Amino acid sequence: MKTLVQEVIEAGGGESIKACYQCGTCTGGCPTAGEMDYTPRQIIRMVNLGMRDRVLTSSSIWLCASCYQCQVRCPRGVRIADVMAALRSIAIRDGITAAKPRAPAFYQSFLENISAYGRQFEPVLILRTIAKSREGVAAKLGFLLGMLPMGVTLLKSRKMPLRAEKVQAIEEVRRLFSNAERLEAEG
Amino acid sequence: MSQRYAYYPGCSLEASAVEYDLSTRSVLKALGVELEEIPDWSCCGASAGHAVSKSIALALPARDLAKAESMGRNVLAPCPACYKNLRYVRESLSDEEARRKVERLLEGTGLSLSGSSEVRHLLEVLAGDVGAERIAEAVTVPLEGLKVVTYYGCYITRPGGMRSFDDPVEPVSMDLLCRAVGAAVLPFTRKTRCCGAPVMMSAPEEMHRLSYEILQEAKQRGAEAVVVACPLCHHALDAAQPEIEKHHGALSMPVLYITQLLGLALGLNPFEELGLDRNVVSTEGIVKRFSKVTCSR
Repeated sequence: MKTLVQEVIEAGGGESIKACYQCGTCTGGCPTAGEMDYTPRQIIRMVNLGMRDRVLTSSSIWLCASCYQCQVRCPRGVRIADVMAALRSIAIRDGITAAKPRAPAFYQSFLENISAYGRQFEPVLILRTIAKSREGVAAKLGFLLGMLPMGVTLLKSRKMPLRAEKVQAIEEVRRLFSNAERLEAEG
Repeated sequence: MSQRYAYYPGCSLEASAVEYDLSTRSVLKALGVELEEIPDWSCCGASAGHAVSKSIALALPARDLAKAESMGRNVLAPCPACYKNLRYVRESLSDEEARRKVERLLEGTGLSLSGSSEVRHLLEVLAGDVGAERIAEAVTVPLEGLKVVTYYGCYITRPGGMRSFDDPVEPVSMDLLCRAVGAAVLPFTRKTRCCGAPVMMSAPEEMHRLSYEILQEAKQRGAEAVVVACPLCHHALDAAQPEIEKHHGALSMPVLYITQLLGLALGLNPFEELGLDRNVVSTEGIVKRFSKVTCSR
């Protein structure tokens, strides 16, 4: 059985996570730490201690903005933002999305859209995210209603495309997806 | 001397950032830089690629980079997220294991990748390859008296942990460009503080708070506009500004792409060539001051 830290390293989080000496520089510079249930410093320690469930169900991994402030400042070379991305990919793979269900639904829908069109297409992206997000009907409806003013704003500024821009060689893009899935399955 | 690049606009520049695409093409053309769009390019995967798997994060940009290589040109990307993702693939190639992985990811597409094309962000091209001096020489309408702050966001100065062309603590590329066209750049502490756009889905109120802090500091310092070089930062600061104002109070702070600002000074048409009528927060005051063309239609 793999330890969590091994899983994180394999998913691209970097060997240097083991070097963390808990100074807290990452948390000090983090723009969203105030909203997280565990701070970045705590998450790194918990990963090293193998506290798998608590880490993967935390809101922290979905509140990380991937801004890389922590990573460029870390005196130990810990790739904190890459660790957070690795944790997101493990949570998505294992279907653990309880803390912030909309974020993983968004990432998966984003890739589904690329597989469908080759490029991004926001109106369908939002609808896919709502459909996929594991939350109640009221929450889904609230999200949709919350997005409407922005939709109207973008339409008024003529910045909301109503037709998807499609890649012509879409089979090439789909091949990338099947190749990536095969390589991930090999581990 | 003519400079040529393989242009990778990215998905945002076809949608919520059309004015960034338009003004980039117009300004570079005016400066004698040739852009050739990468034919049939596909999405780089943005933040979703890395969130789902390392393989897909490598595979998606690899296709675009391979296409740029076959054009025999370096890549120019105006979107910092695209820039980061394309560079991530290119720099991975120096690792033998990753190189073999990329080869396998491209299997069956007929494409191959050697790493011969470099990946540049628009600011790197403007401040480095073209240079502030050449831009200053092309100015026909100096933006004298215009007070701005420059906002760089995350991936220009911290491209996913990779080295940047600019300083990660006190970046200057955009400041030099603004000054070259006569604008006054005010001191600003939040130049590289995240705008919050990446947590739009998980915590929209956090995005609003972070963007508010940036806009509020700009206002306190007496800036007349915030200048940016990222479609996501622009979305958080400009398109979401009406929403931010509902929670935090009035701001009315125009947010211009660096290319829109440069284009005004180069005397380009503010609407047809720079899309200054597409920004959500009105740019009318600035357009009236520096352009004779004041009506978009």
